[in-house]
Amino acid sequence: MDLLDLIDAVQSVADGVLFGATYALLGIGFTLIFGVMHKINLSYAAASVGAAYASLLVMSVVQAPAVLVFVAAAVAGGVIGGLVYLVGFKFIPLANPLATLMSTVGLLLLIDEIIVHTTAGVPLNYPALFSDVIIEVGPFGLRGDLMFVFALGCACMTLLLLLLYRTRLGLATRAVSQQPTASLLCGISTTRVNVLTFVITGVVGGIAGAMTGAAIGMLSPLLSLPLTVKGLIVTVIGGLGSIPGAIIAGLIVGGLENAFQFFRGVSERDLYIMLLLFAFLVFRPGGIFAKSSGRD
Amino acid sequence: MDFYLGLIQIIGVHTLLGLSAYCVLLTGQVSLAQAGFFAVGAYVAGMLTVLAQWPLIPALAVAALVSGAVACAVGFPALRVKGLMLVVATVAFGEAVRLFFFNFTYQIQAGTLHLGPHGAEGFRQIRYFPENGWSTLDVVLFIWTVVALVMAGLWWLDHSRVGAVLRAVGEDELAAQSVGINITAVKVSAMTVGGFIAGIGGGIFAHYTTHIEHAQFGVVLATFAIAYPILGGLSNVFGTLLAAVFIQGFLIEGLRFMGDWRNLLFGGLIVLAMNVRPRGLLDAGTTRALRRLFAPGKERSGA
Repeated sequence: MDLLDLIDAVQSVADGVLFGATYALLGIGFTLIFGVMHKINLSYAAASVGAAYASLLVMSVVQAPAVLVFVAAAVAGGVIGGLVYLVGFKFIPLANPLATLMSTVGLLLLIDEIIVHTTAGVPLNYPALFSDVIIEVGPFGLRGDLMFVFALGCACMTLLLLLLYRTRLGLATRAVSQQPTASLLCGISTTRVNVLTFVITGVVGGIAGAMTGAAIGMLSPLLSLPLTVKGLIVTVIGGLGSIPGAIIAGLIVGGLENAFQFFRGVSERDLYIMLLLFAFLVFRPGGIFAKSSGRD
Repeated sequence: MDFYLGLIQIIGVHTLLGLSAYCVLLTGQVSLAQAGFFAVGAYVAGMLTVLAQWPLIPALAVAALVSGAVACAVGFPALRVKGLMLVVATVAFGEAVRLFFFNFTYQIQAGTLHLGPHGAEGFRQIRYFPENGWSTLDVVLFIWTVVALVMAGLWWLDHSRVGAVLRAVGEDELAAQSVGINITAVKVSAMTVGGFIAGIGGGIFAHYTTHIEHAQFGVVLATFAIAYPILGGLSNVFGTLLAAVFIQGFLIEGLRFMGDWRNLLFGGLIVLAMNVRPRGLLDAGTTRALRRLFAPGKERSGA
């Protein structure tokens, strides 16, 4: 491999790491919902893509600067998150994990189909910010839109960590995720915490969906299944319930994805990500930051 | 008429797929790998009849054995984890299988034709049924004989000690372990049986569609596989059959007159069904009520 190839490889890995911020946010969402409710919400990534679509809808009605598209996506994500809780979790007994799993699958299909129905299945362009900016660092160029996506992702993660570790709501959330019964006895309303977790993860997901759209430059309903799979993979590699783990794993998966794509081509790319995940499940089922005795 | 026969074929194959997930779900494990086993069965059976010129039944048997072996091999590492981790692990396995076949090319020259799987283009010309003069009705009868055999086998399994063991593990692993059940062995066996059944289903699927490609075996098919038993209820095998008829017959074909709206309703009705009947369409209570209806007085206590 000569120098030029090496530069290309490093470049594509760097792009991947920047895009990985999206995966990190989705991973955090899956982890938080699982942490609080011990339930899998398979409709999460679809809801995120749906929120990005909703923000496009808002932008087509209201003339506003492109920055606001992210705000709109965040708000839409929060609303959709609340709706997902209402429709997919509220009325289903918690002791029956299969039923909620199935209802979120139904929601995933429903959200996808609503998108297909309203857009006639045609991919839509998504506004990107700073796409004309390229920061030159030696032989490498960092794309402005990806840098923005990365910065936004980092800001979201910081806010989320502050929320979880510096506010009463965060304290309540962590209490419910550790001991639902004990936190109920302490006067914490688990239902309220559950709803708020769905809304907060929905906001995060909406931003992640908007980031995906901005980084790729378009939105398509075909995005939701791959994003679901990637988000779940990030959750597992990072360790279930570990937010720092999800962040690191998101960036790693983003970077490796592009590395595999560079060396092995796009058709084999995901195969190696799956194998990586399998390796993690066998050798480190507790994720990156698990203690050595993390296996149950 | 052919349309309805085709629909009955689809329902039959999907029932097999659902039954394969049913076995695994009985032990409380959610496996999204069934589409992967289904794909293995489809490709193996197709390659045996097309490339090696085997008759159908031995080809299906080998396909089922290979799928079962793959399931057993996957079961050991995957079943060390549970819950969400298992869902992810099995999704990853299913996707890995799909991507493997996406990149898998093995063709031979037969006259002017190239036969065999060809990467993204898929595997064309699995023409065993037309070449051997099977009519559509023959195929339907063959599929439903297999479905009946598998259902009878599972019914028998359910009512034997094995079924009790499977359900014990599904209800409470700790309790099952403490009465001396080797839960890993039980889970891996259930996974193997599930893989075996999915392999038969996949083999039949490959032959009646005559063309298979990687995209057919994605996450969507895997969610369908677990949707049948969950929607139908895990109290007995007929729930899965009922759900396959409900989804394939009613939601997909029956609502076709609604055009675009059908797909919207599809997801919505699944959500609704889970809200109204969280333990499945045919849950234990309904089964008991039906039994009382058809055989009053004969109901065993605790059934």
